[in-house]
Amino acid sequence: MLYIKCPYCGLRAQKEFSYGGDATVKRPNINEEVSSEDWDNFVYMRKSPRGKHIELWQHIAGCRQWIKVQRDTATHEIFQTAKVTEEIR
Amino acid sequence: MKNVSALENIHKHGLFGNYDSKDELINIREIKDVLIYQIVKYKKSSISIDKIKIDNLNLPETLLVSSNTNTRILWMGPDNWLVVSTNKEIEKSILENLSHDDFALTDLSHSRTILELEGSLVDEVLKKGCPLNLDGLDEGKCSNSAFHAITITIDFISSNPRKVRIFALRSFGESLYHSITDACLEFGYKAE
Repeated sequence: MLYIKCPYCGLRAQKEFSYGGDATVKRPNINEEVSSEDWDNFVYMRKSPRGKHIELWQHIAGCRQWIKVQRDTATHEIFQTAKVTEEIR
Repeated sequence: MKNVSALENIHKHGLFGNYDSKDELINIREIKDVLIYQIVKYKKSSISIDKIKIDNLNLPETLLVSSNTNTRILWMGPDNWLVVSTNKEIEKSILENLSHDDFALTDLSHSRTILELEGSLVDEVLKKGCPLNLDGLDEGKCSNSAFHAITITIDFISSNPRKVRIFALRSFGESLYHSITDACLEFGYKAE
């Protein structure tokens, strides 16, 4: 089982979390012209990297907050977690 | 109006499980007829919570509980608290101290099932279904977690004797009750 450090509650078991997808995807700006390709990329196209990846997780059985997690998709090692408003570098 | 408990026909009093030759059993009781309010501070609000008092209690910091004999205020998440009280005037106290522009107040009195477990083996019962690390979760702390995939809130009321209250959504009350009592059978329990 993975252990994820929630920035609000501390170290918790993965059981309490729900995976929320790639945290690096940016929504096209509101009130700006968006091409079909850009919209398609935003909605559907995802990378599947092997190695470090920044992901969204929700502490669904905890504080209910969305957080960012930097995880190695091959080894599952977790390097860093942050509030959703913070950047992971 | 009286609330009808989700455990009305489930919670039977008596001794169950392996209670023979046991010095200390786990006591299980249902907590009913308490008022439960959720307080959420709006994101846009810039008000400081330091000076806010509800029933003479502060809004607690992360994973902590503020309590007196009638009322317990539990930290649920950032800017989110749960007030559990037997004080019939608690709503008045909340409304007097919180501004509508800064906080949302929701009455959840009808929507929770609460079980209280007491005894030295309570932690062993929790460990059977809950992934929480219970070290350091002593008197005056609280935490959300899951018990056999049922989302719960645990209020650590007392360390000696160990006493905790487990909150679950009312609709999960019966499942939680069976999960908890099943976990208690090995140790023997007294339902009060």
